[in-house]
Amino acid sequence: MTQKKVWIVPCSGIGKSYGSVARESAFIVTEDLRPERTGIIALSRLVPDDSDVRADIKSSKSITIDGCKLACAAKVATETGGTVAHALQVLDVYRAHRELKPAGIAKLNEGGKKLAAVLAEKVAALVDSMEEKHDA
Amino acid sequence: MGHDPNEPLELTVDKFTFRFPKDLFYSEAGLWIRREGCIFRLGLSDFAQQRNGDIAFANLMPPGTVLEVDDEIASIETVKVNISLASPVKGKILEVNSRLHKSPEWINQDPYGRGWMAVVEPEDLNRPLKGVLDAQSYLDLARRQAEAELKS
Repeated sequence: MTQKKVWIVPCSGIGKSYGSVARESAFIVTEDLRPERTGIIALSRLVPDDSDVRADIKSSKSITIDGCKLACAAKVATETGGTVAHALQVLDVYRAHRELKPAGIAKLNEGGKKLAAVLAEKVAALVDSMEEKHDA
Repeated sequence: MGHDPNEPLELTVDKFTFRFPKDLFYSEAGLWIRREGCIFRLGLSDFAQQRNGDIAFANLMPPGTVLEVDDEIASIETVKVNISLASPVKGKILEVNSRLHKSPEWINQDPYGRGWMAVVEPEDLNRPLKGVLDAQSYLDLARRQAEAELKS
């Protein structure tokens, strides 16, 4: 038995702190917290009908992390055939951690970095709760 | 087919469309005001909520607060800015939408409905509200502000 990867699909919006927090948290999950069990799918590769990436997103469940209520990550992941197990919003996590106000874009402030870390822990816990396995 | 007189006015700028119900008045800061008998109900206009972005927190002055014109009636924190909203009405706050503490996104989702913010009993119902605009005048103001933002 091997575990399928859980795809993490973060916001790809440029120019907004909350989008940067989404991406930063995705990097923390996939590079530090759950590198074996997760991978990132970039929205920018889903939109132009990249067949390899579309096959990937259909192959396993995903967790989307959106930077705003337009929820592009959740919508695009769904519309391209993915199964979104959890659709997260950075704003919802910020509401629970008001002291971590994000600012900055290319370089997040300390609040933004800490918020990304909190969000990443939340995503990692969700990954752990997903018990999807398949035969090797 | 004629226009429904109850349909809100609409303004489209770039990819955004803003609605302005005709039965409301508006402060320049973006509050809408609806007279309901002897009281006024207030909330944030569709234009103001879209312009300022997703709302993270809404802090409302508590019921019983006595307001002068231009006193803060609410403050909101959005993903873009923190805003203090000034009351266009002199009077006393009778009721606030306490559910906005848990669900401030209602202001974004339904600004003229469940996103209402406060009910104020005016000191003098017959005193004209200071600096408020009707729907068409507020739409014109919104158009100027939106177009200026697009150019900047």
